Amino acid sequence: MKNYILTILCLVIYTMGAFAQQTTVRVSGTVVDEKGEPLIGATIVVKEKPGLGVATNIDGEYSMTLESFQYLQFSYLGFETQEHLIKDQDMVLDVVLEESHATELDEVTITGMGPQKKVTVTGAITTVDVGTLSTPVSSISNALAGNVAGVLAMQRSGQPGSNTSEFWIRGISTFGGSSSALILVDGFERGMDELNIEDIESFSVLKDASATAIYGSRGANGVILINTKRGSDGKVSVTGKSEYTWTTRTSTPKFVDGLTYASMANEARVSRNQRPVYTDQELMMIDEQLDPDIYPNVDWMNLLLKDGAPTYRSSVSVRGGGSRARYYLSGSFLDEGGMYNVDRTMKEYDTNANYQRYNYRLNIDMNVTESTLIQVGIGGALEKTNHAGASSDHIWNSVFGYNPITMPVMYSNGYVPVIQGEESEMLENRYNPWTVATQTGYAEIWQNTINSNITLQQDLHFITKGLKFIGRFGYDTYNYNYIQRRKNPEMWRAERQRNSDGEVVFNRLVPERLLEQFSNAFGDRKEFFEAELSYGTDIGNHNIASVVKYTHDNYINTSSYGGNIMEGIARRHQGVAGNLSYGYLNRYLLNFNFGYNGSENFAKGHQFGFFPAYSAAWNIAEENFVRDNVDWLSMLKLRYSYGEVGTDNSSSRFPYLAEFGNYDRSTGAGSQAVSYNWGDLNSSFAYNGLTYTRVSSNNVTWEVARKHDVGVDMYLFGDKFGLTVDYFSEARDGIYMVRSFLPDMVGIQGQNPSANVGSVETKGFDGNFKLDHRVGEVGLQLRGNFTYSKNEITEADEMVNRYPYLRRTGFRVDQAKGLVALGLFEDYEDIRNSPRQDFGDARDVMPGDIKYKDINGDGIVNNDDIVPIGSTTRPNLIYGLGLSANWKGFDFNVHFQGAGKSNFFINGFTVYPFVDGEWGNILQDMADSNRWILGENEDPQAEYPRLSYGGNSNNYRASTYWLRDGTYLRLKTLEMGYTLPKKFTTRFFFESVRFHVIGQNLLTFSPFKLWDPEMGSSNGMRYPLGKTVTCGVTVNI
Amino acid sequence: MKKKHILISAIICFGSFFSSCSDYLNVERYFSDRQDLDRIFSSRDYTEQWLANAYYQLLSFNLEIGHVRFTLTNYSDDMIFTEGGAGVSFSNYKFGAYGPQYGGNVGALISRPWDQSYEGIRQASIFLQNVRPGPEITEEMYTDLKGQAYFIRAYLYWLLLRKYGPIPILPDEGLDYETSYSELSLPRNTYDECVEYISEQMLLAANHLADTRSTRDASRPTKGAALSVRAKVYLYGASPLMNGNAEMADFVDDQGRPLISQQYDEEKWAKAAAAALDVIKLNKYELYTAPKRLSGGLWGAYPRTIDPPYHPVYSEKTFKEGGWSDIDPLDSYRALFNGDLYVSENPELIFSRGDNQLNDEYGIQSMTRHQMPVNKGGGWNCHGITGKQADAYAMIDGKPFDRNTSPKGFTEHDGQYPYLRKDVWLEYANREPRFYASVAFSGANWSNTTARDAQNRDFQTFYYYGEDDGRKIVSTDDRWIPTGIGMMKYVNPKESYKDGTVFPKVDPAIRYADILLMYAEALNELTSSYQIQSWDNSETYTISRDVAVMKASVLPVRLRAGLPNYDEIGVGDPYNNPEEFRVHLKRERQIEFLGENQRYYDLRRWKDAPVEESQMIYGCNTTVPKEYREYFYEQVVVPSVQTSWSMRKYFWPVSYDELRRNARLTQAPGWPSFD
Repeated sequence: MKNYILTILCLVIYTMGAFAQQTTVRVSGTVVDEKGEPLIGATIVVKEKPGLGVATNIDGEYSMTLESFQYLQFSYLGFETQEHLIKDQDMVLDVVLEESHATELDEVTITGMGPQKKVTVTGAITTVDVGTLSTPVSSISNALAGNVAGVLAMQRSGQPGSNTSEFWIRGISTFGGSSSALILVDGFERGMDELNIEDIESFSVLKDASATAIYGSRGANGVILINTKRGSDGKVSVTGKSEYTWTTRTSTPKFVDGLTYASMANEARVSRNQRPVYTDQELMMIDEQLDPDIYPNVDWMNLLLKDGAPTYRSSVSVRGGGSRARYYLSGSFLDEGGMYNVDRTMKEYDTNANYQRYNYRLNIDMNVTESTLIQVGIGGALEKTNHAGASSDHIWNSVFGYNPITMPVMYSNGYVPVIQGEESEMLENRYNPWTVATQTGYAEIWQNTINSNITLQQDLHFITKGLKFIGRFGYDTYNYNYIQRRKNPEMWRAERQRNSDGEVVFNRLVPERLLEQFSNAFGDRKEFFEAELSYGTDIGNHNIASVVKYTHDNYINTSSYGGNIMEGIARRHQGVAGNLSYGYLNRYLLNFNFGYNGSENFAKGHQFGFFPAYSAAWNIAEENFVRDNVDWLSMLKLRYSYGEVGTDNSSSRFPYLAEFGNYDRSTGAGSQAVSYNWGDLNSSFAYNGLTYTRVSSNNVTWEVARKHDVGVDMYLFGDKFGLTVDYFSEARDGIYMVRSFLPDMVGIQGQNPSANVGSVETKGFDGNFKLDHRVGEVGLQLRGNFTYSKNEITEADEMVNRYPYLRRTGFRVDQAKGLVALGLFEDYEDIRNSPRQDFGDARDVMPGDIKYKDINGDGIVNNDDIVPIGSTTRPNLIYGLGLSANWKGFDFNVHFQGAGKSNFFINGFTVYPFVDGEWGNILQDMADSNRWILGENEDPQAEYPRLSYGGNSNNYRASTYWLRDGTYLRLKTLEMGYTLPKKFTTRFFFESVRFHVIGQNLLTFSPFKLWDPEMGSSNGMRYPLGKTVTCGVTVNI
Repeated sequence: MKKKHILISAIICFGSFFSSCSDYLNVERYFSDRQDLDRIFSSRDYTEQWLANAYYQLLSFNLEIGHVRFTLTNYSDDMIFTEGGAGVSFSNYKFGAYGPQYGGNVGALISRPWDQSYEGIRQASIFLQNVRPGPEITEEMYTDLKGQAYFIRAYLYWLLLRKYGPIPILPDEGLDYETSYSELSLPRNTYDECVEYISEQMLLAANHLADTRSTRDASRPTKGAALSVRAKVYLYGASPLMNGNAEMADFVDDQGRPLISQQYDEEKWAKAAAAALDVIKLNKYELYTAPKRLSGGLWGAYPRTIDPPYHPVYSEKTFKEGGWSDIDPLDSYRALFNGDLYVSENPELIFSRGDNQLNDEYGIQSMTRHQMPVNKGGGWNCHGITGKQADAYAMIDGKPFDRNTSPKGFTEHDGQYPYLRKDVWLEYANREPRFYASVAFSGANWSNTTARDAQNRDFQTFYYYGEDDGRKIVSTDDRWIPTGIGMMKYVNPKESYKDGTVFPKVDPAIRYADILLMYAEALNELTSSYQIQSWDNSETYTISRDVAVMKASVLPVRLRAGLPNYDEIGVGDPYNNPEEFRVHLKRERQIEFLGENQRYYDLRRWKDAPVEESQMIYGCNTTVPKEYREYFYEQVVVPSVQTSWSMRKYFWPVSYDELRRNARLTQAPGWPSFD
């Protein structure tokens, strides 16, 4: 490091001298656009003399002096650059810059090798227009679903601080280690969620093997490349943005009122020939609210949740610099409020689920010499999350668990009620929702990320033209501090009968717990180094480019590992990657990539793997016969790639190392130290046992993905219509697994060994299209994308199984499995004539209970009849459709997003009414649905079976009856903006001012109504996803 | 120029970075001081520890004698237990449901002996691959250690073979756990292959092992132990179940190869006899005898020696000379089991797990506790013996017990009959000494001399209905013995679980008496003469049915018990008739080895189990209260402990999981496979 700094310092001092210059000619004038509007801050530089330049003032005027016979370059962002030759006399030069119409053919794709013209790309890469991603949400991951072809995503929770999405590039193709993509920010492996969206300059998704090969093993699950904004030549530009968001919920579960609850509880008991829970007199008391201490009627959901919560977000960035040095500086602040009601009497601390984040970033580019560029970037995020002392899961568990009539919020004498009060921590979630959310203290989480990186780019044209060296070094630290301050009040429960004096009898179930603190901390450190040598040249119509790159990275967990030697060792990779590409007239393109990667986690000899990738493209539109005859075809490119990628995702460290110790598989008589005494009675000569507690798995090595990709890129009618479609298939072999089914005969004591034994095949397609059309002054753009991916386990570590459907092999990763329901039993005759249902006591099955299919035909329905049903919880299909329009200063954007091919089971007390007796509330939807009611609605196709109280082992099983369709379509974004006319804004020294209103998740269409299907939750007990309305303003100075 | 300098320095800088990269992924320095096989086998301590783990696999589910949850096979037609449900669990077991009602889980009961044996086999194989002489391990030690590992490995195979029938024999270097599941699937070897393998391994062991052990190494095997196991394995291989047994024709491997020989081969018996003779010829072992005791009363913890009825030869000769004049038969027998003898004090003990039995959960101690009376003994009072077993013990003169001719009535005072106190049913009087060492009949005296409270010493236990240790009004109480006959074997007269000391005991895994009886048994089956090499090829034995040899072989066992030989008790001369001799020998084994995990397997190998284990179990009538006590002793069918037989009970099943993991493994006859 020291060397770098010294070198940079030297270079900076050295370049100071270059500013000296001679003056011979004076040029002045104005720079305007086609409409005559002055362009403020347009850059005027002397060609090939970086550092010599000025910018126009507020009226678009400039003046400068320079040596004669030089070219002056006039440039402005979004306009075509012009060059004018200055001769040997002073002159006035007024320039009209034309707006640039960058065509799709010039569109640049950010690849692993750097920016590349889209026309020459042979791999499968989606570059996303960051503008379409900008959303008011705190994390960019939430904007990926339906916006980026090739990405499948789902958001599981709406809780501030954890409301990010999980996503997978082209789906999940392994069940071994991690299936998540590599995210590179400015070339360094970093998180995406704590990034300030405004700082993002470009966003690319690399999908096939040829695109990710250069990243070697790390890129097996796809790569996301994010570059942050950098400084630019020219006048200082300041952008400020401020947004206020009101967040409500996409779906709030509704529960029944007290009387309905009580009547249904009675129904559940009576219809199973049991005594009702509540007497008629009690029902009346509930209805009339005569004794709210014993028979209250509480709407817990309403009590717990506010209507909505505010989020405030603002950011400022400054961008500027000259040709020698440029900078980008930004800061942002986010404050997301939680939706819980808080106890207003508590002023000292906040129990709400709040999230605050501060971001900063500084990117500096310096041309130290004409051929040397040094880039320095520093960024960071400081996050603070707050929540109630009990966790969010507890809160949601309790709000779904408390029925309206068992407990009041507070007894009239001020006692805090609780339904069940074992001291066990596990039952904390049975405190009442108000107690859990407000009276259990609070917890704070602080997270702190600092990213820093430095890049040296050296043009080596003095050796040979086209040769370039790039060195990168990055250093990131992260730390996490969690402090929970827990307490709870004394809690009571009233007996259901008043005593003979008419007084309520209270039992203390939970003693008071004074404030106690629990805390933990975690941290990590990442180092990354990369050295790259690239060479590119054109020989006639032939274009050759190659890159060789050396990388190593180091990740170490800096928290305490106790005695675990293995965890104390940094995770490291090392590799060489390279690329060789050949192009002829942008018509025929060939590409060869390789990665030679090593991981410290494997045994010597298995550490390195070689992973080649090949790709080719044929740009048909460039063929003469096409170009001459078909003028509406701007581009038609066929791509094919094949490559291998390895990954070292293994859950255990150093599987090749054996461990030894005193091991005792429980004898059935309780564990004890293994020892054997060879001595006679009363003559001890004992030795402790010693054996492998973990055998070495010597052959464990890379999990290898073989990926094929066939793609078409097409632009028609002068780029008005663009389409990209890719078909992909991937075979993932050697998935790292613990070999759980070794015969016992092998005689392994301790942990079973691991091996690369699993295989998964993934197939699918993704694509996107864009259609631009201009109707008069209205510009329209229609765009859409879709991603579909389906996987199948072709090999998994499994035992022989009698029924093939009980195996994992042949089915999807995370395939849902359950019984096949045939509806409800019509009558006892039906039960007698059907196979015996062997769950619990078969004699308990009654009409109105679920009837299952006897898959194996053995006359008994049991666990052998569980078959794959539906698909997986994670959607296999994601699509999006957007339309944007602009007219004068107005812009309008609407975006729909949907997911298909997903199923999940619903279960638990939320949907199995009275499964835990009095614990568990009843959803209004359930009460109102077409449910089976004895004597009233004995519909064998009813949505809910005959009620039961206290669980029912026949009905409450994973089956098609409880399998729900997770498909949905939602109006993800609706945005309207207005940019004030420039004439108006310039008067206030503003470059531009834009007001916008954005609605998110405004509408959701789904066959599933109980809660938001995207959460994939089986019981809905999670912080709901947000439905937001945002107003904001963006100002550019 | 300056630029170039900078550039060059930058390149040098990166270059030096590269050079340090060559060992960037090297993590060996972190692990160089960790444990590894090389280190283990360089150190004596670690080497012994490695071996200790292999020995350890002889415990818990591989014990010979212990808690029923671990040693179910110790309960045949001789012993009963009630572990929940007043004997229901016993019946379930007898009906072939090896269920979880024994307090453990059924999976463990079936699969753990399998797992545990193979774990020990692997452990021993690794040991054999790696053990080497070095600074800490002398050549002599090395040889012996190697012998021990050979022994343990082959012994575990033997335990597997006995229980599960023919089992897969693994390659000597162990299975490579990194190969595919299909390569790890091995079929069962035939029974004969298993026998030959174990025999060959035991010979290897015998060639390596020491002849004798010091007190410190008492529980390590010796040459004699290896040869004894070999003899036993040969005997099993020669027995009717495995030797030309058409009933087992459907016990095949995955290729359809019969695993049990279908051709009777008499020579197998000769080999078994020769192998037993190998042990006898070591001249190292002799039966233990306790000296005659002239002090003491007629009953109590250590009563005065009761001489057997006068015999012109035996009463005049010492045991060494071939008589019983100087021994106490009761003590001579019971001291083998009750902890009075340590391993190295017992010249009869060939192999024992020694001191490793002390675990209260599963060792012998746990078993004896289940035999002890509840109130005064602090035991669980739920293991007993069957009426059949009690009746099997002969009278003091060696004549069989006959209920019809036996006097009825009760003893009138303590010491009226040898060992008996007052109020004891006369059928229990004048029985052979092993009866008193083994059976806790109603009215037996429990000495429990270490009990602190005098009340808990020298008390009689009656199993009448409603008595402390009898059946209770609350019939769900398990603390009573359904046959009304308890078990005394293994109980030390001094010990008390109530408020006294519990004495550690050694397990008689292989004792010389067994070798002697095996020798006689094998010889009895021969019809012609065979030339068999001795184990070390030093001589050639001529093996045939030599009556004199058989007599000499059986006699010490009889004499030690204070009984004359079979031809001297007035029931003819069984030695002249193989059939008759067989009956006597089986009876001898039934009595001599009660509770030593032998009868279960003996009945099976003789193919007697279908009869013996399906007979109804008789016992005293536990519903009779003290007032009508004479009716208590009428033998009735005991409804709560009943039994049946099916083919499946010859061999234990292999767990479904193991069958699913090892596709080539076949299930034992009568047991369902997972598909």
